[in-house]
Amino acid sequence: MIQYGMYIDQNRCMGCFACVVACKDWHDVPAGPASWISVKTIEKGKYPDLFVAFLPTTCYHCKEPACVSACPVNAVVKRDEDGLVTVDADTCLGKTNCGLCLEACPYAAPQFGSEENAKMQKCDLCIDRWAEGKKPVCVISCPMQALDAGPLDELRTKRGDSREAEGFSYSNTLEPSIIFKPKKNPLGR
Amino acid sequence: MIDRIDNGEQIVRTICNSHCGGTCEMKVHVRDNRIVRIEPDDREGHPRMCARGHAYRQRVYAPDRLLYPLKRTGARGDGQFTRISWEEALTTVAGELKRIKTTYGNAAILHFCSMCDPHTIHHVGAFHRLLCQFGGYTAPWGFISHEGASFAAGITYGARRKWIQTEHAPEEYYNSRFIIMWGWNPVTTEMGSTIPLILALAKEKGAGIVAVDPRFTDSAATFADRWIPIRPGTDAAVLLSMGYVIIKENLQDQSFIDAHTVGFEQYRDHVMGVEDGVAKTPRWAADISGIPAETIADLAREYARNKPATLATSIAPGRSAFGEQYHRAAAALEAITGNLIFKNWQSGPSRGLSFNPQLPSPPNPVEVGMPPRDIALPFRSATVNSSARVNVSSFADAILKGKAGGYPADYKFIWLSNTNYLNQLGEVNKTAAAFKKLDFVLVTEQFMTATAGFADIVLPVCTFLERTDIVAPKAGFVFGILNKAIEPLGESRSQYQICQALADKLGIADFGDQSDEEMVKDIVARASKEVNLPDYDALRKEGIYWVKREQPEETLKQKSDGEPKPFRTPSGKIEIYSQIAAGINHPQIPSVPRYIETWESVNDPLAEKYPLQLISPHFKRRAHSQFDNLPWLRELKDQTISINSLDAGARGIQQGDMVRVFNDRGEVRIPATVTERIMPGVVALPQGAWYAPDEKGIDHGGCANVLTRNVTSPGGAFVCNTALVQIERVVEP
Repeated sequence: MIQYGMYIDQNRCMGCFACVVACKDWHDVPAGPASWISVKTIEKGKYPDLFVAFLPTTCYHCKEPACVSACPVNAVVKRDEDGLVTVDADTCLGKTNCGLCLEACPYAAPQFGSEENAKMQKCDLCIDRWAEGKKPVCVISCPMQALDAGPLDELRTKRGDSREAEGFSYSNTLEPSIIFKPKKNPLGR
Repeated sequence: MIDRIDNGEQIVRTICNSHCGGTCEMKVHVRDNRIVRIEPDDREGHPRMCARGHAYRQRVYAPDRLLYPLKRTGARGDGQFTRISWEEALTTVAGELKRIKTTYGNAAILHFCSMCDPHTIHHVGAFHRLLCQFGGYTAPWGFISHEGASFAAGITYGARRKWIQTEHAPEEYYNSRFIIMWGWNPVTTEMGSTIPLILALAKEKGAGIVAVDPRFTDSAATFADRWIPIRPGTDAAVLLSMGYVIIKENLQDQSFIDAHTVGFEQYRDHVMGVEDGVAKTPRWAADISGIPAETIADLAREYARNKPATLATSIAPGRSAFGEQYHRAAAALEAITGNLIFKNWQSGPSRGLSFNPQLPSPPNPVEVGMPPRDIALPFRSATVNSSARVNVSSFADAILKGKAGGYPADYKFIWLSNTNYLNQLGEVNKTAAAFKKLDFVLVTEQFMTATAGFADIVLPVCTFLERTDIVAPKAGFVFGILNKAIEPLGESRSQYQICQALADKLGIADFGDQSDEEMVKDIVARASKEVNLPDYDALRKEGIYWVKREQPEETLKQKSDGEPKPFRTPSGKIEIYSQIAAGINHPQIPSVPRYIETWESVNDPLAEKYPLQLISPHFKRRAHSQFDNLPWLRELKDQTISINSLDAGARGIQQGDMVRVFNDRGEVRIPATVTERIMPGVVALPQGAWYAPDEKGIDHGGCANVLTRNVTSPGGAFVCNTALVQIERVVEP
């Protein structure tokens, strides 16, 4: 089975949010709590010895996705053809009535709008764009070329296989489909 | 339209047109005259849009877009308006313009058009042409962004600001072994260019990068190996003491100095203390700047030894009292170390092309025959140097004082287009008072900004996605067509259409009746006589096109081979000692760069009352005051004031607490961000948030210029980073 995934060069990410807004525009996600990709800022140290890193966070389309196992109505599925995890909003029971996927996911990938009993939505790695031969909009919008996406095997060949990044913890149980070029913290803490 | 894809959408290629200075290509998806999404251009080497560009759809369809002409109904500044027809609006404006002209003369009319939504047709040229044909007006002089840099470049190189700041060619950064980001935060200010990527590539290749900045910016986080916090306003002192170290240790590039500069001896005498008995040692600069002496000395050595090195001096520290001295001191340091690369040197306004895309304009009758002002620069035109002009920062003062205050006229009418002037210039409360004194305020706008709120008539302007324009090589070797994507919303009109309609009402017959698209076609045809361009339709489809630079490259090569054309200074060389400055004969415009202590420094007696230095940096979710109202951007980051944990602790301020930031000029209420990422003693409030005063005049929008001083530096630098404030936690009753 082919597994699609992402690559993030954390050294390159400068926290500009281009990917965040490009994603909202492309997928027509309104302003509000739901964001299919967001950028976390990690700040360490005391003045003037500081370390700051940014970490784009999104759905990592795990090999063993916790959200899929947690969903009581099979609204979240893992696709055979590309390993992407997708959600069927019509089937989803909603955040208030269920919300089990959010509880299960250590990466807070399931997203919910501000509406009552919002249905789950999340990154689908731009399935619509792959169909046209285009990479996800976050990847092409990045002014730093910090992101890449594609079949995980190909990414590993090209980009190595580091599973660590500042602010990220790899789950051996879930096996998220993500590789990093991590940013080194010179402060060592 | 350009491409059609099978789901019924058309893709229109255009170029983002906002007040960031970028020219990022956009692919706008349109269905049934409605923008459905905006896709970045992903061609290799082309700049990517930033978050603001990606949010542009929300700007076009913002619920608060102004779509109809408005007339004030309450008192001026109360923000009460009613919808009127274009006919009524234009008749009123034309009637007022004629009355002012007859009663007071054309000099009583002030007009300012900033670089927001710039480019060629729908820009300052249109307003200027109209007002000159009407008999003239009072225009501003001085660049808010970089007048300090422009003045310094003018007297040092005889050129405009190129090189004196951060606009080095990408390959200069890429090839540098050592880069100093001086007050420079390209992560925020160079979005939409390839520079951040180039910096990352340079770093990956092994370049050492140091950030000298009061803040540990996102750029310091991303690129720098080392952060050197510096007290605002003390940059020139540190740069001069670096010169001291370099000369003391004989690290200067004497052959470069001998070949290309004049005034090294005077500079040396100044920094070594021969001239005034004060050696500009690192110890001397340490006390002023807060940077340890050894750190300064090491920085000087690294900069002089690791060539090629790039001193990337942001124009931000130049927006301080005596900001021009900072830029001059930096230019001197680059010159004595020979860290100046002549590549991409531009000697003319269009980098080797004589083609001028701007609209033809008659001379401004108000300026004809007027003498140049005291600090006129020789390379600028007589009209720009005219003493009839008012410094861009001084409109409020000029309106309040007029002739009695030494200004060339009494001012009665102001037209503000493409600018949120009230919000973006020093001392908002003073500007508000000035606007209330005028006979008439005309604002052309897309939104009810703080400035528009003071208008008598607001004319609604469409966005760049609703009209046609061209990027022409005034700003580089790039041609690009701004293709209209959709019809203007509501009754909004383009800037050029507004000028055409007003010309008609004013009885000006020869303003021009072409459409913007016809004008763009003409510009392309004219340019094609000089440059090998694709034809109009191909250019339109391409969106953006880089001109091959054979001719100018030749010239540049000569320069880089060490035979630069004479600089357009009096001596024909780089003037570390400036003959122009010497001729101005002003104690605060010295002939060699000096550190002059700013007003409102930490040593000012005022610091007892207001002990914190306020800086007002750019904010990544706005381009100045543009985009502040868009939800996709607002949710990315809150408008807050950053304060060091030590200063916060001393005031009992915790993360997110509502604080009052105040001085004698005003008060802002805003939440605090308590952070390690700013120097103690310094607080930062990002500029551009929309002024929102309550009935007591306290601003709740977070507008930094409520607190800045309305004053111009002696060399013309705009001053928004020299202000003392105090901060207190707001205790709810």
